[in-house]
Amino acid sequence: MHEATLAESILNIALEAARQNHAAKIFKVGLTLGDMAGVEVEALTLAFDVLKKNTPANDARLAIKRVPVSAACNKCGKVFTLERYNFFCPECDGVLILQSGRELLVDFVDCE
Amino acid sequence: MEIKLMKNILGANDEIAAQNRKMFAARGVVVMNLMGSPGSGKTTLLEQTLTRLADKIKIAVIEGDLFTAKDAERIERAGVEVIQINTAGGCHLDAPMIQKAYASLDLNAVDLLIVENVGNLVCPAEFDIGENFKAVVLSITEGDDKPLKYPLIFKESATVVLNKTDLLPFTNFDLQSARRDLTTLHPSIKIFETSCTSGAGLDEWAAWLLERTAR
Repeated sequence: MHEATLAESILNIALEAARQNHAAKIFKVGLTLGDMAGVEVEALTLAFDVLKKNTPANDARLAIKRVPVSAACNKCGKVFTLERYNFFCPECDGVLILQSGRELLVDFVDCE
Repeated sequence: MEIKLMKNILGANDEIAAQNRKMFAARGVVVMNLMGSPGSGKTTLLEQTLTRLADKIKIAVIEGDLFTAKDAERIERAGVEVIQINTAGGCHLDAPMIQKAYASLDLNAVDLLIVENVGNLVCPAEFDIGENFKAVVLSITEGDDKPLKYPLIFKESATVVLNKTDLLPFTNFDLQSARRDLTTLHPSIKIFETSCTSGAGLDEWAAWLLERTAR
């Protein structure tokens, strides 16, 4: 249930960006979330919707882009998208090193 | 207008974690972030660890707990300096909490700082506190399916302690399958099998921890 902490942090980043750009209203906050970042989107949205009340983000919605888990082999160099968390290379005896899937980013804020 | 940000959501925490890490390194303190479910045996393992290591290295403990000081009292009885953090419902420790807690410790007099996180297999894995490595305790009664159900914490941890092995005969926990899932998820993870009741595996665990501290 750390989604409330994440939502608070997202809201703070968005409000700060709006303030710096002299925007009074935030419409959308774009996020990139990796599939292995351990974020429950429903809980995150719920927390965000509670926290945003009576702020410039009152009517803002979250636009969420998910990133699949990908990893590269430390021997043959091939890159794989992982659906099951198997970090052994399917093609040689190498080990896969995580490349993406742990993202937790605020990409953009749409405001005016 | 659209403002491009590309800002890390946990950036504020990670910044403090980096400060913590720098401070620990400058003082020569090795920090272990000890995680696991409620009831997995984190505090009991910690007590057994202190019994084995307290006369060899200087250890301090930061205890994360939702509301009580029960665990801290147990550690204090072992004669080790302990700082209690009550998260008041918060499901994990974060870097600013650790920064506040170690302010009251003399870090120069500490070799190994063990941070016992709040019992939880999800959230603590997400929050860097400035530790050198993470350790996760998984008890036999929790079931052998947990590594694949909670991949992040096992992926992030340098070591996993399979605890309460004395209960293996009474459960359907499959050690081989748990070991296979753990290595599949994290090929270099160090696996220990311990029982704080029989004492099995505890010397090996303590020796490994001592070696990590001396490194």
